[in-house]
Order: sequence, then C-alpha cells, then structure tokens
Amino acid sequence: MFLARVDGVIVSTVCHPSLHGSRMIICQPLDPEGRDDGAPVLAVDPHGAGRHQRVLVSTDGSHTRAYVKDPKSPLRNIVMGVIDDEDEKAGN
Amino acid sequence: MRLGHVIGRVTLSKQDPAFKGARFLLVQPFAKEQFRGAAMTPLAKGLSLVVYDNLGAGLGNVIGFTEGAEATAPFDTPTPVDALNAAIVDEVFYAPPHA
Repeated sequence: MFLARVDGVIVSTVCHPSLHGSRMIICQPLDPEGRDDGAPVLAVDPHGAGRHQRVLVSTDGSHTRAYVKDPKSPLRNIVMGVIDDEDEKAGN
Repeated sequence: MRLGHVIGRVTLSKQDPAFKGARFLLVQPFAKEQFRGAAMTPLAKGLSLVVYDNLGAGLGNVIGFTEGAEATAPFDTPTPVDALNAAIVDEVFYAPPHA
C-alpha cells in the first residue's frame, strides 16, 4: 500500500470487460514528506476521491479482482480509502 | 496499471504455441512529462516494453497496461506474458496541483 494524490482521471471505451463501470484515476505516489515520488500510476477508485485528495492505494490484485467481481481481471491498484489527516510526519 | 504510447509493433515468424493469435506492441511508458502533454520521446529514457494486445491498439494510441502476475490473469491457460494491454485510452485528464 502507498500514499498518493489524485491528479486526474482517464477515459477508455475499448478496454478489458472488468474495467467497465469502474472509475480509473491517475495517482501520484508521494514520499513521507508529501513530495511527488516517481511517475503517476493508475488505480481503480470505488470511493470517488476528488482531485488533489490524498488516498491510500493497495497493490493487492486479489482484492481488486474481488471488487470488480472478475477473477480474470488484469487490474491491480485500487483505492482503499481517502486520507483525512496525517499526524506523524518525518522531521516534525 | 501504467500509461504508455504505442510506438511500434512486434511480429514473430516462429513463436510459442501459447502466443497463437497474439499481437504485440512496442510501448513507451509515460514519464511525468508525458502526463503533462509533452511530445513523446521514444527511447529517450527508460525501457520500451513489449505488451500483449488483444484489444487492437494501433501506432500512436495511448494504452493502459498491466505488468506482472496480473498480466496473465485473463488467460485460461498459463501464458508467458509480462505486460498486457488492458485499456485503449480515449482521454487523459491530468491536473497536478503545482503545474
């Protein structure tokens, strides 16, 4: 699991059937200080996270396959929750 | 899943029977600059990938591809695939906070 910021969405019509009806967001992974860490990745978003909100992303494919109800889905990343507040930050 | 530009195709004259009917694309994964709309710079940095395709993506398309164990999930029989095209992307709406 990692922390990320919602930086956008993608739209696709020709895709694997398990993607139909799922919102797919562009997640910017963040380091412990909240800075961008690497290139953005895509994740399924069942919670409807808003732009620039911080989210917790799981990379557990089996949970994602269960969410989309397709044991043959190629999806892996899924938003597990929207972050309210992070109390503990390195350097504080 | 990551985004990438289709920059070429791979055709095989002899192949493993598991790849019967397969199409392969040469894909350049998006760096942050490509999300911002920068022109693609094929082979500029990072590896280009060969991606299994059964959706019919063409040269210049933006695709969403999965890598690793999930790439083989859609197959009925064990298939030696590292990366799979899961979506042909129509639109990318990207708006980072400080751009």
